[in-house]
Amino acid sequence: MSKVEVNHLTKSFGKLKVLDDISFQVEDGDFLCIVGPTGCGKTTFLNSLVKLYDVDCGEILINGEAVDLNKHSIAYIMQEYSTMSWLTVRENVQFGMKIRKFSKKKIKEKTQEVLRMVGMEKFADYYPGQLSASMLQRVSIARAFAVEPDLLLMDEPYGQLDLELRFKLEDELIRIWQETKTTIIFITHNIEEAVYMSRRIMVLTNKPTKVKEDFENPLPLPRNVTEESFVEMRNRVTNLIKWW
Amino acid sequence: MRKKIRFQNTKAETAVYFCASLTGLLLIWYLAVRYTNLNKVMPSPFEVFAFVGSSFVKNIGSRILPFHILASLKRVFVGYFLACIIGIPLGIIMGCSRTGKAVIKPIFELLRPIPGLAWIPLAILWFGIGESSKYFIICVSAIVSIILNSYSGASQVDPILTGAAKMLGARPIQIFFYITLPSSVPQIFAGLQVGLSSSWMAVIAAEMIRASEGAGWIITTGMESGNTVQILSGMISIGLVGLLLASLLRLMERGLCAWNIQGK
Repeated sequence: MSKVEVNHLTKSFGKLKVLDDISFQVEDGDFLCIVGPTGCGKTTFLNSLVKLYDVDCGEILINGEAVDLNKHSIAYIMQEYSTMSWLTVRENVQFGMKIRKFSKKKIKEKTQEVLRMVGMEKFADYYPGQLSASMLQRVSIARAFAVEPDLLLMDEPYGQLDLELRFKLEDELIRIWQETKTTIIFITHNIEEAVYMSRRIMVLTNKPTKVKEDFENPLPLPRNVTEESFVEMRNRVTNLIKWW
Repeated sequence: MRKKIRFQNTKAETAVYFCASLTGLLLIWYLAVRYTNLNKVMPSPFEVFAFVGSSFVKNIGSRILPFHILASLKRVFVGYFLACIIGIPLGIIMGCSRTGKAVIKPIFELLRPIPGLAWIPLAILWFGIGESSKYFIICVSAIVSIILNSYSGASQVDPILTGAAKMLGARPIQIFFYITLPSSVPQIFAGLQVGLSSSWMAVIAAEMIRASEGAGWIITTGMESGNTVQILSGMISIGLVGLLLASLLRLMERGLCAWNIQGK
């Protein structure tokens, strides 16, 4: 499990300030959904968190230490497809486990488990070039879950999926989170998705991005999207984004 | 009603079109030689193929045709192999390392426009008129496309993939071997294909430097004696062996880059 601390994070691209002095904490085992207007810098924030971008100032700490990708067990599901086209679906899923030196037995078991979870067992020997967009994203999701990360970062991972699979994977993510208490930071622009899954919701402003509001989502799990309390929470988040 | 022939697969279709175009070319050649004045400077395809056939048992110079082809093949393989073992690492270093690129690229850009054949005088001065100068000319002719494509493959690795590998805990050396290298393979193969063609082109020029055998030598001596049948036989031999080598390389690519072919 990981506790994440973000202190005064600022990031600009040339003269364009994208992240403006963002500070917050994510407790061990928390499930934080970050929502905000399109293009507000949500992805930049996650990329900065995992050091894909250098930040201008501020710091990001995991369990009180600077982020070290070899030391901290982080998995990041990106918005773009990040499957390796020269590896089969099975090999893609096993990639992270092999890097992290899981035992052969565990690799085999875990591969079966996560492929079943995302409904890709039949396509285990296919190459990414033979798959559809939604299948590619399912492979990335399976690969991230396979490494049993302490911190799971997800950048609009379900955006490309059909509704049925999306609902299934949302429930699956909640189940895994409840079971493993993995700390999750989930970026989405789908407000219903954020309210359905999260324990905490953070709403960002438009550029330069600041934290507009950060609050707990007290609704008990499992949630029902038609319940009055759910609709109220969804409206609250909608209004925060609508009237930024 | 006319019936349209439908092919079961594209391989059969390609083979039929290939045979049709080849027959068409030979027919045009034959008719042109048979019914025009072209026969004063050009033999008919039958004469050329008869010469090629007979040269499997009858010497051209002091050797039979397969020996000449093997002699050229040996030169191409040595020169091309040298170009590969020097060119692929140089291209990858340029593509992966900023320092490598800063050091190697300016020199490469300076030497790149110089055609392989322009190196002949220097090759003779440096290596004499033996085999080494021939290997050198073939090597410098093939190396440019090999370096360029390897560089292009290594420098265009998708940053999303390297980012994803980093996230999964891969170290720089693992990123190189598991991401950079495999994703560059199709581009490297493209360079190897072009390099192989350049090698075959260069072998003719290389065999002009005092050789007593080889496909290039057949053409050169044919020119000296005004024997167009022999010249065309040498050219056809080079064409056929070149086609065979390119096909072999393509087969190898299919084996190594099945993912790239299946994905298309």
